[in-house]
Amino acid sequence: MAAPTIFILLLLALTIILIAVIVFRPGITATRGGKMMAFLVLFALPVLCAGMGGSAELQHAKSTEFCLSCHIMEPYGKSLRVDDPMHLAAAHFQNHRVPPAEACYTCHTNYAMFGGVKAKLGGLRHIYVYYLKTPPAPEDIKLYEPYHNRECLHCHAGARSFEEGAVHTADPDLLPALRANKTSCVSSGCHDVVHNVRSLKDAKFWKGSN
Amino acid sequence: MLSTNSLERKLQISGIILIFGLVVEALCLLGRGPIAFMIFTGLGGLLFLVGITYYLSALVRSGSAGA
Repeated sequence: MAAPTIFILLLLALTIILIAVIVFRPGITATRGGKMMAFLVLFALPVLCAGMGGSAELQHAKSTEFCLSCHIMEPYGKSLRVDDPMHLAAAHFQNHRVPPAEACYTCHTNYAMFGGVKAKLGGLRHIYVYYLKTPPAPEDIKLYEPYHNRECLHCHAGARSFEEGAVHTADPDLLPALRANKTSCVSSGCHDVVHNVRSLKDAKFWKGSN
Repeated sequence: MLSTNSLERKLQISGIILIFGLVVEALCLLGRGPIAFMIFTGLGGLLFLVGITYYLSALVRSGSAGA
């Protein structure tokens, strides 16, 4: 368990104990000091606990472990370990082009204003479909919207490998079209092998770092 | 167990609700999946808000009654 989580749990335990003191000995709130203690214990500390706990939960919800905890996502987790540099997601994960601990979130969040909020609402929709509807087979899962180049360019824009890459500069119209999202980075013939969960049974897997 | 004094009784009730909310939040922090996240924000958050609101409304009412 992470140290911040242990700290939050200890703070929660302390708050619960102090609230219990007020519940069992409400008479102490009759004095001025008791009233101040009641405000601290019944308002300030719970707000602090909920804020820190909520922040820890939101941070954890970005983790690769969290996304892959749903059974339906297992093949997508497996696709990150395909031993083939042509697999876009695997190459990003294995070469730390995205933080491995937050691999899913890094590519599947939205780097526009309120993108994090949109990503969280999308996550709530996933949970609704997973638990209350009939979820699709893993290979039938589709993005809600076509993948936007903005998410790729968040990291790659300005990078030499992107700006001066032989394929990217071969056609002078390509880079402007990519920046304007008129040509998709994941379009056919470019970086079109992403997760490809249908073909995983024939794939070789990297057994490297966990 | 509940006090006969109106304000103290309200503090006790808000304290009990807050304890339930904080216990739920603590248990959810130990869980790792989406269900724990949902219970944390849904049930834990609801109990927390109800407890805090009840405490603050008790303070406001006791203040206006004393004025």
